[in-house]
Amino acid sequence: MPLLANDAVTQDAYQAEVQKIRARFEHSHDGHAAIVERSNLMDSLLGELWDQFGGGASGLHRIGVAALGGYGRRALFPRSDVDVLFLHESALGQDSQNRIAKLCQALWDLHLRVSPTTRSLAECGKLHRDNLEFNISLLDCRFVCGDAQLFDQLRARVIPRMVARDALELQQRLIDLTSARHEKYGHTIFHLEPNLKDGPGGLRDYQVACWLNLIAQLEKAGSWPAADKLVPDALRKECGAALDFLSAVRCFLHYRQGRDLNGLTYELQSEAAAAGIGLPDSAAVAPAAWMRTFFRHVRSIYRLTVLFDEVPPVRSGLYRLFDHRRSRLSNADFSVVEGRVFLRQLSSVQDPSTLLGLFEFVGRHGLKLTAETERCVEAALPHLRRWLESSPDVWVQFRRILVAPHAGAALRAMHRLGVLVLLFPEFQAVDSLVIRDYYHRYTVDEHSLVAIESVHALRTPDTELERRFRDILDGVETPDLLFLALLFHDVGKGLPAEDHVAGSLQAAAAILDRLRLEPGDRETVIFLIAQHLRMSSTIMRHDIFDPKVVAEFSEAVGTMERLRLLTLLTYADVKSVNPEALTPWKAEMIWQLYAAAFNHLSRTVDDERLTLAASNSERIRQAVAAAGDPDSKHIVSFLEGFPKRYLLTHTPAEVVGHCRMYDRLKSGDDEPQIEIARRDGYFELVLLTLDCPGLFSHVIGTLASWGMNILKAEAFSNKAGVVLDTIRFSDRFHTLELNPSEEGRLKRQLSEAVSGEISVIDLMETRFKPAVQGAKVKIEPNVQIDNNCTQHSTMVEIIAQDRPGLLYDISSTLAELGCNIEVAIIDTQGQTATDVFHVTCAGAKLDPAHQKNLRAALLEQL
Amino acid sequence: MTKLEAIIQPSKLEAVKDVLTELGVEGMTISDVRGHGRQKGHTEVYRGREYSVDLLPKVKLELVLPDNLVDPVVDAIVKTASTGKIGDGKIFLSRIDEVIRIRNQERGVAAL
Repeated sequence: MPLLANDAVTQDAYQAEVQKIRARFEHSHDGHAAIVERSNLMDSLLGELWDQFGGGASGLHRIGVAALGGYGRRALFPRSDVDVLFLHESALGQDSQNRIAKLCQALWDLHLRVSPTTRSLAECGKLHRDNLEFNISLLDCRFVCGDAQLFDQLRARVIPRMVARDALELQQRLIDLTSARHEKYGHTIFHLEPNLKDGPGGLRDYQVACWLNLIAQLEKAGSWPAADKLVPDALRKECGAALDFLSAVRCFLHYRQGRDLNGLTYELQSEAAAAGIGLPDSAAVAPAAWMRTFFRHVRSIYRLTVLFDEVPPVRSGLYRLFDHRRSRLSNADFSVVEGRVFLRQLSSVQDPSTLLGLFEFVGRHGLKLTAETERCVEAALPHLRRWLESSPDVWVQFRRILVAPHAGAALRAMHRLGVLVLLFPEFQAVDSLVIRDYYHRYTVDEHSLVAIESVHALRTPDTELERRFRDILDGVETPDLLFLALLFHDVGKGLPAEDHVAGSLQAAAAILDRLRLEPGDRETVIFLIAQHLRMSSTIMRHDIFDPKVVAEFSEAVGTMERLRLLTLLTYADVKSVNPEALTPWKAEMIWQLYAAAFNHLSRTVDDERLTLAASNSERIRQAVAAAGDPDSKHIVSFLEGFPKRYLLTHTPAEVVGHCRMYDRLKSGDDEPQIEIARRDGYFELVLLTLDCPGLFSHVIGTLASWGMNILKAEAFSNKAGVVLDTIRFSDRFHTLELNPSEEGRLKRQLSEAVSGEISVIDLMETRFKPAVQGAKVKIEPNVQIDNNCTQHSTMVEIIAQDRPGLLYDISSTLAELGCNIEVAIIDTQGQTATDVFHVTCAGAKLDPAHQKNLRAALLEQL
Repeated sequence: MTKLEAIIQPSKLEAVKDVLTELGVEGMTISDVRGHGRQKGHTEVYRGREYSVDLLPKVKLELVLPDNLVDPVVDAIVKTASTGKIGDGKIFLSRIDEVIRIRNQERGVAAL
C-alpha cells in the first residue's frame, strides 16, 4: 500500500486508507482497532514523507521523529490532533529546519491537524512549568522514524531522569489539572449530555491514572513499566472494557461529526443506541439502556480517581494541620492518614461487622478509602455473601451508616465496591439507570444517594428556608427510617411493575423483611415510599390554602412524625432531581403545606375520635384483628373515645399491652397501672388510670421531682373516663440506670401522687433541684388560645423556652384554673417546648374571661 | 399577533396546558412566580411564630398567538382556571409587532 506515488503524496491514496479504516469500524464498531490502524497509517505516512524529504540524508543533523500523546499510545482517534516530536541533539541548521517544515506542510495539505514540536534532548530533560503538558506528552513517546539511537537516549536516560527529579511536581500538577477539569463538570459523572473525553470518568481520567502510575513506577524503579501494568490488577478488566467501549463511542462521534467533538448529545445518544455502538454484536437498544451501559463504564474509570489521592500532597500548613487532626481519628481497626482510611490488618474486613464498621467510620468522619482498602473490601465480598446467607441482623449497623453525617459518601463507596448491591440486591435494578428527560440530571441510584445527602446537608443550612427544614429535621424521632425510605423509594423504576411506586413497595417489602424492622417502623417506611409523590402532587395540583385540601392531606398523613418525615422526603426528592429543581418557590410551597398540616393535626386532634360509627369502625376492626385477641369486645370498649391519633401513634402490640393494663385496672380496684420501659436513649412511662383533677400535673410533677427531663408526652382519655398518659423522659441524674431498684419506688410514688396520698407540691418544694442552665437561643413565650378548632374543647398552644419543671408549671396552672385536660401533646425541639392542650371546664369550652385569666397565668409562669 | 400573559393558580396549570394543547397552541413559557392582587396575603402561625405569606405562589404563562386563536385561548383559560374564588388570577393581552425565529430568521406568524 504505497501512500506515495511518483515521490509525491497523493491525497487520494491517503484518503482511500482512511476510508478503509472507517469502513472497517462501521462494520465492526471496534474502536480500539480503528485507533491503532490510524496510528499505523500515520507511522507509514510519516516514514515515507521523512524519506521523501531526505530526512536521513548525510550531512544533516541527527533527528529522530517520535509520536507523542494519544498518537504515541497508538490511540489516534479519527479526528484527533497528531502530536509529533522532532528530536535533535544539537542546534538545527537551516536545511534541517526546512525539511521539517516541508514535512509538516505536506501533512497539513492532507488536512491533518498536526502539532509538531522540535526539541533537543536537553530541552526534553527540563521541566517546563509553563507547558507541563509537553512533559506529560513525553510519557507516551514512541519512535516512528529517523535517528533511533537518539530516541533511545531520550527514553532510556532523559525522561527517567526528568521524572525521578520532578515526579512530585508532575503528579501534583496532573492532579490539580484534573481537579480543575472535574470542577468544570461539577465533580459528577452524571450529565445529560456528557463529554466522554474530558468529563469525570472519561478517557482523560483513565489516562491520568496511567500517567500517575507510570511516574510513580519510573521514579521508583528507573525503568519503564509495561503499558498493560499501569492500571491496578483489580480494576484492569473492567477498565479495559470501559476503555474499549469509550473508544468505540469516540470513534463514532468523530466519524459522525467530522470533528474532534466529544460531547454525547441527546441526538447522538439515540443514534449510538440504535447502532449498538460499543455493545456486544452491536445490538440496537433503547437510548436509556445504552446510556445505562455508558454510565457503568464511566463509573469504572471514575473509580481510578481514588489513585489520585495516593499522591503525597503539596498543601498549605493549615490543610496539613486539619489532616493531622483527622489522623487522630484512627482506632484499633482503621488508621487515617491525609484523610484516607487504611486498614490496620488487611484481612480485617473479611469480618462483615468490621466491613460495615469501615463504612460507618467513613460516614461519620467524611473520609476516603485508599486504593488498597478498596481492593481489600472487594476481596472480602465473598465472606460478606456467606454471612448474609445466615440472615444476620444487618439493620443495627446499617442504620448507623444511614444517620452518619457523611452517609452519602459512605453509601456511594459501598455502591461503588458492590457492597450495597450485595446487601440489597433490589438496588441493582436502578444501578446506573437513566431517566432520559431534560429534568433528571442523575441516574436513579445517584438520585437516591444525593437525596440522602440533601437531608444531611440541612444540618448546616445556608438560607432561611433551609433553616425551617432543618428545624423539621431536628424534630424527627426516626431519621434512620427516612433515609431507608429515601434509599429505596425509586427502586421500582428499574422493575417491571405497573408503576414505579408499586415496584418500590414490592422491593421494599422484601428488604424490610430481611432487615427485620419493628412493625411500626416497617409501616412508616412503607408509608413514606407509598406516599412519596403525594406532597408534590398536592402542591402542584391542589390549592394548598384551601382548608379542605389541608384536611384531606393531613388525614392521609395521620401523625406529626409522619408529616415531618414525608416533608423532608419530598424536599430531598425534589432537590435531588437536578441542582436547580428545588426552586425557592417550590421549597416555600412544601413548607407552607407542612405548616398548614401541622397546625391542622395539632388543632383537630380532640375532634377526631374513635367511635363505633361507620367512619371509624374499620380502624377499630383493624386494631382488633392485629391484636389477635379473641375477645374483641373489651378492646373496642377500651378504644372507644380515644383520639384517632392514638391508633396512628401506637403499634397493635402496644395497643394490646395497653388493653391488658386496662383489664388490670378494672380488676384491681382502679389501682393506677404504671409501666416504665427503657428505650434507645430515653425512658418511656405508660400510665393508665381513671381521670381525676390535676392528674397530668401530678404525674409530671413527680417525674420532675426525681430530676427527670420530659422530652415528649401524650395524654388521651377514652369514653369510659380512663386516661392514658405516655411520657418520654431522660434520666438526667442516671437514677434509674444506676439504681434499678429505684424504678419500683418511682412507680409507687407516681401511684401515690395520682391517688392523692402524697402532695406533689411538697415533693417539688423538697426534691426539685433544677440545673442552672443558660439559654443558647432565646425563645419568646407565646400562648395561643383558640375556641374554634374543635367542637367541644378549647385549644391552648404554648411555645416557650424549655427548662426543668416547665411542664409541671404549665399543667399545674391549668389544674389550678379548673381546666380538665382532654388531650395533651407535648413536644420539645432543641430549646423550644411546644405544648398543645385541649381543655374543658365543667365539660364545656372556656369562656372569654376564663381564657383571659388562663393566658395571663400561663404567661406569668413562662 | 397578540402576546398573552396569564397568572393562574399553580393547581390549574396542568389542566390549562392540556386545553391549550387541544386548541393547537404549540409553544408557551411557564414560570413560577409569587405575587398578589386584591387577594393580598395572610399570616400563617406555626409553632408560635408568625410567618407572613404576603406574596402568594402563582404560575405565569406567556404565549404569543396568531389573532385567530386569541379569543378561543382566552375563553379556554378563563373556563379552566376559574374556581370562582378570589385569587384565580388574571390575563393580560398586548399587541406584538414582530416575531423572529433565531435559527432561520423566519418572521411573523410563521415564526410562532
